[in-house]
Amino acid sequence: MENIGKKILNQFKVMIIVSILTLIGQRIGYKIPIGKAIPGMLLIILIGMVALIIKDLMPKSKFPAFAWAMLIALVLTMPFVFTSKFVLNYTNQVNFLGTTTPILAFAGISIGMKIAKLKQLSWKLVIVAFAAFIGTFFGSAIIAQIILKLQGII
Amino acid sequence: MKETDVLETKGRWKIHINLYLVVLIVVIVSELIGTYKFPVGPGTVVLLPMLYAVIIGIILSPLILGKAIPALKKVLSKDEIELAGSIVMIALLPLAVKYGTLVGPAIEQVIKAGPAFLLQELGNLGTIFIALPIALLLGLRRESIGAAVSICREPTLGVIGERYGLDSPEGIGTLGVYITGTILGTIFFGLLGGLSVGTHLHPLALAMASGMGSASMMTASSASLSTAVPVMKDTILAYAATSNLLTGVTGLYSVIFLGLPLTNWMYRKLSPVFHIKEEVK
Repeated sequence: MENIGKKILNQFKVMIIVSILTLIGQRIGYKIPIGKAIPGMLLIILIGMVALIIKDLMPKSKFPAFAWAMLIALVLTMPFVFTSKFVLNYTNQVNFLGTTTPILAFAGISIGMKIAKLKQLSWKLVIVAFAAFIGTFFGSAIIAQIILKLQGII
Repeated sequence: MKETDVLETKGRWKIHINLYLVVLIVVIVSELIGTYKFPVGPGTVVLLPMLYAVIIGIILSPLILGKAIPALKKVLSKDEIELAGSIVMIALLPLAVKYGTLVGPAIEQVIKAGPAFLLQELGNLGTIFIALPIALLLGLRRESIGAAVSICREPTLGVIGERYGLDSPEGIGTLGVYITGTILGTIFFGLLGGLSVGTHLHPLALAMASGMGSASMMTASSASLSTAVPVMKDTILAYAATSNLLTGVTGLYSVIFLGLPLTNWMYRKLSPVFHIKEEVK
């Protein structure tokens, strides 16, 4: 139990750092004053931490913290739920694209060492990988297009 | 080192501070460059700060720029890179919350499109019809089964690893696509998202399609798509996020019960055509 407490504290520290990076990034990229975005960011940290704690308490569950965080925010902002206006009011001050830049900066740096693996990989597999990406993407898009048309949504 | 220990700050302050300063600089530079979009053919190329961030991050690695600048190697050593890897999962959470706040208000619309959401999950099988013939054409053998079975994220890695072992030909195929996706996935989907508008498929269908892979692939694709079609921005992001959530639930079963049997069947049918003389399991 003590270990979990320590783990959560460390995750919380990282969450604060990520939030600061996001606030600075979106101040530059989307001109959102830092002070104005802080309440929304705190709300986001709170939801994110709840997701992490759920995940920490259920380490065997395959459902990732990402999905928990999304689900909690989803439920809190459904139009017929009383928290909806309150949550949206604040989280709207945090820009969607602004949250993506720090993630990809961390991801890019973490990829660094794996470049060597890519070099070892047969170029044939890289081509097949792109074919697999395109196949999945357009396979889904074509089915979605047909069903959405049949349903009269588009 | 265990994941818990990597995040530990005690006695590791220098590693944390080094990494955060580098990321801060990468974020500032990426945001200063800003968003660009321009038409290419019928589609749109969208360049977002996140795209620069991932590319700059990769270039800063000890294997690339670190080779030329030894001082950089000291700031971004193996420790910092390992820490960055563990932080990605946490850094994704504010984005996850933002996605939730986009789906929540649109929940009725999303439920109405439920049948389309569920059926488009089968689109994952589209990879078999395109990737398998190409793999065989390139002369790959059993590797092509592992590579063409799906978009090969973590669930597939688990299934193939368990069934064939990751050092088997099938495993090498899956691992190859997995690694390519990890390293080049965001860049690839960041470009594909905007360009796909040129196919004249409806933006909402493309939004659902954006949800097929990992969270970062979905983010790259949907952010780029929504920047290309700004009038539908919120709906596109909501659809993509919902589709990604569903893939997280269905993906594993789709590989086990549909993807793998179908790929093996197609392999048996197609491999004689490509003159592969080997015993087919």
